[in-house]
Amino acid sequence: MQNFKKYFIAATAAFAFVSCSNDDQNAVSNNLTLEFNNTFKNTTIVLGDAASASATANTSAAGQVHHFSELKYVISNIRLVKEDGSEVPYNVNDLDKGAAVIDQSKTASLSYVLTNVPSASYKLIKFGLGIKPEQNTLDQVRFPKFYAAAGANDTQMMWEWGSGYRFTKVEGFYDTDNKAMSIHTGSTVEGTAGAYTQGVNAYRDITLNLTTNAVVGSSAPKIKIKADFDKMLSGKINTITLSTGTGMNDNATPNVHTAAQMVKFVDNLGGNGTNDISGMFSVTAVEN
Amino acid sequence: MKKIIPLLSVVLLLISCSNTDDEMIAIDNPEIALNIPTGFPEPNEFVRFNKPTKYGVELGEKLFSDKRFSADNTISCSSCHIQENAFTDGKAQGIGIEGRIGLRNTPSIQNLMFMKFYNWDGSKLQLENQPLVPIITHEEMDSSILDVIGKIQNDASYADLFKKAFGDAAITPERIYKSIAQFEYSLVSANSKYDKVKRKEGESFTAGEAKGFEIFQQKCASCHSTELFTDQSFRNIGFPLNTNSNEAGRARVTGITADYMSFRVPTLRNIEYTAPYGSFGQFPTLKAVLDYFDNGVLEAENLDPIFKNNGSSIPLTEEEKNNLIAFMKTLSDTAFVKQ
Repeated sequence: MQNFKKYFIAATAAFAFVSCSNDDQNAVSNNLTLEFNNTFKNTTIVLGDAASASATANTSAAGQVHHFSELKYVISNIRLVKEDGSEVPYNVNDLDKGAAVIDQSKTASLSYVLTNVPSASYKLIKFGLGIKPEQNTLDQVRFPKFYAAAGANDTQMMWEWGSGYRFTKVEGFYDTDNKAMSIHTGSTVEGTAGAYTQGVNAYRDITLNLTTNAVVGSSAPKIKIKADFDKMLSGKINTITLSTGTGMNDNATPNVHTAAQMVKFVDNLGGNGTNDISGMFSVTAVEN
Repeated sequence: MKKIIPLLSVVLLLISCSNTDDEMIAIDNPEIALNIPTGFPEPNEFVRFNKPTKYGVELGEKLFSDKRFSADNTISCSSCHIQENAFTDGKAQGIGIEGRIGLRNTPSIQNLMFMKFYNWDGSKLQLENQPLVPIITHEEMDSSILDVIGKIQNDASYADLFKKAFGDAAITPERIYKSIAQFEYSLVSANSKYDKVKRKEGESFTAGEAKGFEIFQQKCASCHSTELFTDQSFRNIGFPLNTNSNEAGRARVTGITADYMSFRVPTLRNIEYTAPYGSFGQFPTLKAVLDYFDNGVLEAENLDPIFKNNGSSIPLTEEEKNNLIAFMKTLSDTAFVKQ
């Protein structure tokens, strides 16, 4: 009987404990912030016009010095992966709630806050650079907020002729004489499954291991993501030399505004989906 | 159970009553018979999902000429697609609001029901997907579909037409796209002199036209084939290049290097009315195009084999050029362009 009492007390205490920790986690979901740091290698990029002295300059593997005046990209299809491997999608079917334009000129856009993230310990984050073909239709009725944000005069993240969004938009200058460079990417996929389809899918799925687990619950963690734009010209997949030849192989590489010559930039920025699934992205820290 | 049946009947009666109400105001909106001219290819596979109806076409035609589609209410579809010019504008490149100059030459609108690819680069495979593009493009109408709907939704004449065309007065983007496409599907040109000669309707070619037809078959028909006078392939034929960085021809869409500066072979129907010629209006006249072929086209790695294997030119005497032009004018459908 004495033993029974002991066990009973112990059990009650254990229950109390469990319910306590449950109270902390169970009912609670919390915010999770993705903080983007756009860099050349380890230096945060400062934008600037052609003659800017303060703009961050970078030199590519091919020896071309360059700096940017504009830097934007779209992220969407965010998924968090728990310790047990299960995926928690974050508004993946709603661009208004689950996609964002990251714009280096707008500090607020660099921190994307995910709200009501279920409490759990997350080991991995997945997201898309760009937008999946089935959502990439400039549907103003379905996603009015994202349409307005992407189409704003100071953002211009639409490829009107392709009826889709721009996925990245980089404007800048290269070589010592500061020639203009302008790299845009986006998808041009048309057609229905089973029938004739055409075009290039520039969406890239990114998978990043977290440096330590992000524990959502009583705290609202922050995941710091580095986007290293040094990789744009000096990537894991392609080493690009900007040249203004008019032949079909070197067509307008400093001015990519079509699917022509686009994919090598896409693969450098977002990986090729097979042996490179991180592209220019990496997680530098998790703050719990 | 016995009680339930009368009750059910009453309910059913009520339901059918309300149905009857709807049907009473339902409008007879018959499908328009698709008269496929002899020898024309099968319609685009998407046409069967949006068959033109009497009021769908009427609505599409009204929308087509509504200037409220543009941000400043100055430009409609028909501002650039002018029927008298086989729905082109006579300009080298399309001109949108505030005089903004577009990337390319306005393409003609005719026999679109039979096309597999739309636009110079074939960027669209389904006509219903096209109307949004000029609405939102900065150099064209620079508006948005919800802005357009906002401007027309209180217009009683539209409420009536949407109801007649689609059963109720709701104005949706899909209905706008569908009705414009229906109007365009209805624009079939197959009543030129050429057609009448071919159908043996009492007309015959002049000597010059007949000679021109012969040369056409020898030197042009491998690309300008079928009764559409295009094989709908994409080819780089060495025309002067548009150096705008937004231009890559078919490669703009496919990203395929071999498609660089390849354009869809244009139809020759109503070609008399669609000057200037080329993807950005490089040539003011048909004679200028033929002179260019005769003198030799630009070299390119992916130059079409027909040119590559024939010294990059189509040699033509002056007489042949004149006869060819005479033949091409037999493809003019005066009833279609209402001239």
